[in-house]
Amino acid sequence: MRYLLSNLLVIAFVSCASYPKKKGLTEIDLSQKTISNPYFSDASKDYVYKANIQAFGNSFSGIFIVKKLGEKHHRIAFTTEMGNKIFDFTFHGEDFKVNHILKKMNKKILVNILRKDFRVLVSENLSVEKTFKEGSNAIFETQIANEKYYHFIFKENLTKVYRVGNGKEKVEYIFSEISHNIAKHIEISHQNFDLTIDLEAIK
Amino acid sequence: MHKKFYFIHEQARIYVIYLLLLLCGTSLNAQTKMSIAEANTLKVTVKALSDKTETITADFVQYKHLDFLSNDIESNGKLAFKSPNMVKWEYVKPFSYSVLFKNETLFINDNGNKSDMDMGSNKIFKQLNQLITASIKGDMFDDSEFEVSYFKKEGKSEVHFNPKDKQFAEFIKSFQITFNTKGEVQEVKMIEPSDDYTQIVFSNRTTNQPLSDAIFAQ
Repeated sequence: MRYLLSNLLVIAFVSCASYPKKKGLTEIDLSQKTISNPYFSDASKDYVYKANIQAFGNSFSGIFIVKKLGEKHHRIAFTTEMGNKIFDFTFHGEDFKVNHILKKMNKKILVNILRKDFRVLVSENLSVEKTFKEGSNAIFETQIANEKYYHFIFKENLTKVYRVGNGKEKVEYIFSEISHNIAKHIEISHQNFDLTIDLEAIK
Repeated sequence: MHKKFYFIHEQARIYVIYLLLLLCGTSLNAQTKMSIAEANTLKVTVKALSDKTETITADFVQYKHLDFLSNDIESNGKLAFKSPNMVKWEYVKPFSYSVLFKNETLFINDNGNKSDMDMGSNKIFKQLNQLITASIKGDMFDDSEFEVSYFKKEGKSEVHFNPKDKQFAEFIKSFQITFNTKGEVQEVKMIEPSDDYTQIVFSNRTTNQPLSDAIFAQ
């Protein structure tokens, strides 16, 4: 009985272990209290990407558009190549508004997934809760809409973000081909179900 | 005091009249409704041209206008049409993507990634194909599907097609085609319910040149 209990405790302890602990990350003390995601931060720019989305065995493509309209204010839209709008969202502070979405796609569960995924792209300035180190990466623990995130900064560029729940990576964001505060390639992939959004800058 | 108020009131009235005149003047300059006779002449011209058109090739520039963007998103490509209903719509820049409408199937080539979709069962795609074919040939004066209205604009003709089908109207509020005097389609504008639009301008049009089937191979 005691053996079983201690085993259970060990299991409980392991599954509750924090993400940094599981990954064996070393906590460091940095004076940096905020980090920024610069990739959609220039209000004078129209950010336009060719998008490929793999979702639940289907694959479709289109044009993904992000526009900063002001402080903490972004518009994100997705159209077909021929221009028909599939969805159009506004992120303003904590608020989120669906300006348009195809009736067929207007399911609460799907809209919530997209809202969470895209909020990360447009969350520009983030408070750092803890800082870790892994090789030459500095890893910053942050919070977006009450969920835990880890922002990986390599040579001053934000290269990766993980959304973490129960100590596990749930969604991975990879930013690559970075120059002048533009990530030409962005990949958002969900680890626990089949959804990948691949973005390639065209403008 | 009373006099002053009257004066302001009168001045406001003059401004309003002036503004109305200005607006009317502008809209008269920009666009006037065609008479029934003029609309019929246009229909006959376009239909006659369309009937003897076996093939079309053209270049196009597409402008996607979203109100919140600083600039329209520009893309360009080529189109090929072969009677009765084979259409290849190919984007070349800034990405490589083509759609081919052939035998009730939509073939997509997304930068080498090929897929297809059976349109037979999809009313929206059938209508989209019909619209695309018609917008290249111009011959789409079907008033069972659309509310059709005819305008004259700077020597050209502009026809507005507003879908009657509610499901289709979810995508496109109005479809507008500009014809030159020969009855050729010069420009197509698809306006969404939000008033954002896609404008497509054609150039280098050739008609009735033999087109090899290889162009329409999927």
